[in-house]
Amino acid sequence: MSLWPADVQERAKELIGRYPDPKSAVMPLLYLAMRQDGYLTEAGMGEVAGWTGHTPAQVQSVATFYGMFKTEPLGQYLVSVCTSISCMLLGGDDVLEAVEEATGVPHGETDAERLFSVEHVECLGACGGAPAVQVNYELIEGSTPDQARALCRWLQDERPEVVNTDDMQERFGGRRSFDWAIAESENAVGPYPAFGPYGTTPGGEV
Amino acid sequence: MTDLVKITVDGREIEVPAGELVIKAAQDHGTYIPRFCWHPRMKEVGMCRMCLVEIETPRGTILTTSCTTPASAGMVVHTASETTKKAQAGILEFLLINHPLDCPVCDKGGECPLQDQTMAYGPGESRFVEEKRHFEKPIPISDLVFLDRERCILCARCTRFADEIAGDPLIEFKDRGNHTQVQTFPDLPFSSYFSGNTVQICPVGALTASAYRFKARPWDLRRVESSCSHCTVGCSIAVEASRNDVLRFNGVDNDATNQGWLSDKCRFGFEFIGSENRLRTPLIKVDGEFQETTWADALDLVAERLGSIIEEHGGEAVGGIGGARSTNEDAYAFGKFMRTVVGSNHLDAQLDDGLDARFLAGVSPRAKIGDLDHAAAILLWAPDLKEESGSLYLRVRHAVQEGGAKLVVIHPRRTGLDDRATHKLTYRPGQGFGLLADLAGGEGDYAAVLETLSHGPVVAIVGRTGLTEAPELAEAVAGFALGLPDATVLPFARRSNVFGALDMGVAPSLLPGRVAADDAEAMAQLEAVWGPIPTHEARDTLGILEGLAVGDLKALILLGADPVRDVPDATVARRGIEAAEFVVAIDLFLTDTNQLADVVLPAEAFGEKEGTVTNLEGRVQKVNRIVTGPGQSQADWAILDDISRRLSKPLAFASAEAICKEIADVAPAYAGMTWELLEWDEKEGAVVPYGEAVQPLIHHPAAADRKALEAMSRQPSSGAFALHLARTLYDDGVLMRNSLSLHALAPGAAVHLHPEDAGRLGVTEGALVEVKSVDASIRLPAVLDSSLLTGVVYVPFNQPWTPSLGAALSVVVAAGKEVSA
Amino acid sequence: MSHAQVLFARMAEHPTDSHTLVMYEATGGYVQARRAMDMTRDEIVELVKTSGLLGRGGAAFSAGLKWSFLAPARPAYLVVNGDESEPGTFKDRQLLERDPHQMIEGIIIASVANEVREAFIYIRGEYPKPARRVQQAIDEAYAAGYLGKGIFGTDYDLDVTVHLGGGAYICGEETALINSLEGKRGEPRLKPPYFPAAKGLYMMPTIVNNVETVSNLPHIFEMGTDDYRALGHATDTGTFLFSVSGHVKEPGNYELPHGITWRELIFDVAGGMREDRGLKAWIPGGASAPWFVPEHHLDLEITKEATGAAGSMLGSGAVVVMDETTCVVKAAERVVRFFSHESCGQCTPCREGTTWLEMILRRIEAGSGRPIDAELLLDVSDNISPGLTWPPKQTTICPLGPSAVSPITSVAKYFADELRQHIVQGGCPLD
Ligand SMILES: Cc1cc2nc3c(=O)[nH]c(=O)nc-3n(C[C@H](O)[C@H](O)[C@H](O)COP(=O)(O)O)c2cc1C
Ligand code: SF4
Ligand code: SF4
Ligand code: FES
Ligand code: FES
Repeated sequence: MSLWPADVQERAKELIGRYPDPKSAVMPLLYLAMRQDGYLTEAGMGEVAGWTGHTPAQVQSVATFYGMFKTEPLGQYLVSVCTSISCMLLGGDDVLEAVEEATGVPHGETDAERLFSVEHVECLGACGGAPAVQVNYELIEGSTPDQARALCRWLQDERPEVVNTDDMQERFGGRRSFDWAIAESENAVGPYPAFGPYGTTPGGEV
Repeated sequence: MTDLVKITVDGREIEVPAGELVIKAAQDHGTYIPRFCWHPRMKEVGMCRMCLVEIETPRGTILTTSCTTPASAGMVVHTASETTKKAQAGILEFLLINHPLDCPVCDKGGECPLQDQTMAYGPGESRFVEEKRHFEKPIPISDLVFLDRERCILCARCTRFADEIAGDPLIEFKDRGNHTQVQTFPDLPFSSYFSGNTVQICPVGALTASAYRFKARPWDLRRVESSCSHCTVGCSIAVEASRNDVLRFNGVDNDATNQGWLSDKCRFGFEFIGSENRLRTPLIKVDGEFQETTWADALDLVAERLGSIIEEHGGEAVGGIGGARSTNEDAYAFGKFMRTVVGSNHLDAQLDDGLDARFLAGVSPRAKIGDLDHAAAILLWAPDLKEESGSLYLRVRHAVQEGGAKLVVIHPRRTGLDDRATHKLTYRPGQGFGLLADLAGGEGDYAAVLETLSHGPVVAIVGRTGLTEAPELAEAVAGFALGLPDATVLPFARRSNVFGALDMGVAPSLLPGRVAADDAEAMAQLEAVWGPIPTHEARDTLGILEGLAVGDLKALILLGADPVRDVPDATVARRGIEAAEFVVAIDLFLTDTNQLADVVLPAEAFGEKEGTVTNLEGRVQKVNRIVTGPGQSQADWAILDDISRRLSKPLAFASAEAICKEIADVAPAYAGMTWELLEWDEKEGAVVPYGEAVQPLIHHPAAADRKALEAMSRQPSSGAFALHLARTLYDDGVLMRNSLSLHALAPGAAVHLHPEDAGRLGVTEGALVEVKSVDASIRLPAVLDSSLLTGVVYVPFNQPWTPSLGAALSVVVAAGKEVSA
Repeated sequence: MSHAQVLFARMAEHPTDSHTLVMYEATGGYVQARRAMDMTRDEIVELVKTSGLLGRGGAAFSAGLKWSFLAPARPAYLVVNGDESEPGTFKDRQLLERDPHQMIEGIIIASVANEVREAFIYIRGEYPKPARRVQQAIDEAYAAGYLGKGIFGTDYDLDVTVHLGGGAYICGEETALINSLEGKRGEPRLKPPYFPAAKGLYMMPTIVNNVETVSNLPHIFEMGTDDYRALGHATDTGTFLFSVSGHVKEPGNYELPHGITWRELIFDVAGGMREDRGLKAWIPGGASAPWFVPEHHLDLEITKEATGAAGSMLGSGAVVVMDETTCVVKAAERVVRFFSHESCGQCTPCREGTTWLEMILRRIEAGSGRPIDAELLLDVSDNISPGLTWPPKQTTICPLGPSAVSPITSVAKYFADELRQHIVQGGCPLD
């Protein structure tokens, strides 16, 4: 018996239907589960197990292998700062420090209010626009400590319901890896990648 | 047969099967390559990298893992070159940097592959000065197993075992890279019936068994190999003891039987041996109370009472029940004692819960366990093997997963092998005959099932799915199965040495050596050695108990049997025993049955005596002694021998080994079956009839036609449910009751019913349900179980604190009325 | 200096709508896929072999040859590798985001060639925007009848599914990727026996190709193999996408032919060193590659062969440039940390060794280095990659473990003094 509302169950079925084997749908469903609870709960993993035919222990094993399935409660905004080589060379460590200071949240942690989670991450594939930062996996390239602080303050003050990569890049970004050119219409709603088929976009609300 | 190829290992040319992994090929020829993750019974993963060797290839010499490299012609392998040695030392150093090195307080210390290989191949001192990885020290991952993640070297043996072999993927790696750890899901423990195997195969002390933790150091242990006594597979085990205490069972890899694995019941079921509840002195009942006494007094009393009953009413006033938990030698002594000393044919090793003795002893053609590996199809119409025979369950699983056999499971409810079955048929107890007729007819839905079974070789495992099932069904199923292509039957019954006891003639219809009791010629030959054997009609266990109840029989001899617990209809058992004038019990414990006896004599248990046992395929194996029995306990045969002397008809056995020789002489199918053979030539056991021996009783079950089958079909009385009564791995049997680690794991009393039936009765999960049979009315908590058909209830047999329901097919089920506390 | 733009041409000319089906078709899109529908498997495989196209995911293996290895069992699968996570690499992101139909057309061609009816695009989870763009393009292609049932009016069915990763670099390794797609931990499989073309996704024959590799296919069809080959160097045909990052004035992705020199790439194409500082070292082909230094390598031709002969590789085309202010111990620590963090953990040497190396480097950087540490770093490295040769030998299942050794050997080779100074002075001499 599923704990998920009917429309989420529909989506789960649709996702499973995309693969030759239901077990393959475990990652999409884990994102779907994070969308339901804000992070990956035990109940969420149990649910995914039920849908895919894995045992809960297997789902946990898969989920914890990957960095983006977070099994601890997360803030509304997950701020990820790249400190891999190219970003480090151009000040990524300072940007991380600025974010920690502005949010008061050391990397790897979440504040009591569950507003911010802060982490340092490995390369985000934005090295041409180093240092790179993501908020809920939406990218800002060419950051600086000052802009990073401003970004955090903005999030804190405005508490935007959704975040948009172009909007944030415009306000708090700098040099890009390449010309983004086309304005992005989709937004992210929580600390998981916003992708329509996974129900993790604002449209995927339930 | 696979081709042999020549490869060179460290300069020595050897011949090995093509495709054999280099690590195994080298080992079989005396070159041991160190390893942690590779296990001969599991798929290779190449994770630990300890088995690196250098192999010369056309593209130069490469360093690679010998556990993942198949041997090919002309291959040149170096297991001890400088590069190899450096690599191996490097791996060990890596494994040790995060290892706590708490060997002095580790159970594995002294028998630890990591310790041993570090001595042999390791670096000198560690150059690691950083902080080690830390985890909370041992955490329980099940009721029986603890996990210390700091000691773990992440070889994935345990997780692979759980997934690949046991089919219970409840432990898995969690996290990634340097943070990887073995874990269960929160609140979902590793409650696998096979969890203990992981303790045995863990190459370090990361997994330890609660039953063994801190009990002893490996170097204090003595060890002897034996054959397990918990089910009829007879798995090979190593029994280990310190001083006079049995402390541990480990699986031994016998290719013919368990291939190294044991269920937890077998692994931890040794605790009863050292139980303080074991009988230590003979007991006689005086004014309704047991009093300790001497052997002389007890035996005098037994001889006097039995003697006078025999004198007054004849030998046929005495019944004998038991022998299925004894060795062949003890069972033979029991049979000979009953038939020649007492002069009675009323004897039975089965407790009304088995099958026709001639079927079990003589069915032909009979399968071997190993035949499962090559079967194209397996028909499993038997008890849930997961509950009744763990290692046979694993073997069938393996045959399906790796051997590609197609499995057809027919059972009244869910079984452990359903997930591997190509077809699963569920039926109502009593109506198996009808289902068999439909299956044989192959119409409609049954066509596909029949088609699956029409590719040979077919192995049919045939037993009694539950205790309310008519034993005749098995005969009919076997008859059907033997009509399938290239078919053999593996008869299934569960109580440890029941096949041995039947082969020793402990059954109304059998004489020793697979001889039918009505085989006049064989009888004459036996009488030439034994002296006269009575000719009266023989009773089985139920007949004996009923005879006692009405006074046709006066006395009962019990040999390691607990009818009050084990006969499905406990009322009949109790009534018979209570009515008996005299009951003598030879046993390990004061069981519910023995409480009703007049004299109780302390016997030796498994591990305390030597002898042979016979498994369900007819494989005879040795059991061995490692400790002496408690107090004044004695071997069964010796006790019977003492009584025979006092009755002036001495059996005059000299030793168990001498009995074995006598068996080989008088029991045709056992000709040539000596301890010597089993100890020297046939270490995996030998299947009877062995060599030149012949088996007089050949039983070909006959296929029945639809009409005959339908005539045997039974329906519950109107308005009643059909009862499915079946055993669970852990229950309230006396050996389990005295194995404390396991007794608590019995699932407990319950009545399972289909959700629709529950709905109709207004019963929810956990609610109390009134279950009424002819004999009893009991209240059990409900479990909703959609694997049942409607109109069927399942009650696990012999659970702690649960009165017996009897074994009638019909039960009346109703929502229980609230009872006030 | 200007070079022929092929993969980047459309987005350069039509910056705001290069990603749409309308623009894609207006610029000749999906013509080649239609052509492929009428060709046999052998013809396409032969064509791609002749084109000389090498895989762009790092291993530079001939795409046509790989396809020819496809085992006969069916179904066969195609998996496009868009996991792009090696530090310094960001070219696939641009292709996914800016010209997704180019890749989809390539997918159709590759599918027809390999009798594939079901293809997957594995995109790293940190790329939601590229994934959304690709999904939109796929939706457009389905609507137009170029994907789905009976594509282009033929009886050929082809489904394409986007699968988002979960944040694990190792899933870029093709067998780990396949495990991940099967819903398992992204642990690389043993090779042998699990070569994807023989036993891949669900143990069926599977072709794994990089996004850039697949995106080249329509151009090979359009230009013909001769013109395509002529774009590049004799042994490295076509164009190649370089991701240049670090201390240069103009970091970014550049589409170039092989055969120019490093000097040209760094000083002309990428605008030279930021603030005109001195060039200290660069990583020529992604974090796994041994480093180059100006004294030895600046005038080397950028080809697979020349780079290999000089002891490194072009890999995925990521060039990370470090100027004279860079502490090489810190840079090495960052690269080693990456591999330690991304190790799947199966192999003892990779799991334990990379973490140990990271700890030693961090300790040296923090000023607690010991004299034996320089040697220890090399010996631990040697236990991961015996002999410290190039190309590396490995004691591991996949090349990730040995990759962590590259920065260590690079520092030992070119910057031994700077490492020693760290240890002697108890800290970074550049601070
Ligand atoms: C550790 C590791 C990471 C890899 N990451 C990627 C990657 O992110 N993207 C990619 O296309 N190939 C990656 N590869 C290479 C793939 O295994 C594979 O060779 C490639 O996807 C094949 O495509 P190609 O022949 O078109 O290059 C990686 C390999 C290794 C060993
Ligand atoms: S607990 Fe033991 S068997 Fe399991 S992975 Fe760790 S070392 Fe191996
Ligand atoms: S080398 Fe590292 S990443 Fe590769 S399989 Fe081994 S542990 Fe995993
Ligand atoms: S190194 Fe930071 S985005 Fe690549
Ligand atoms: S034994 Fe071969 S890798 Fe572990």
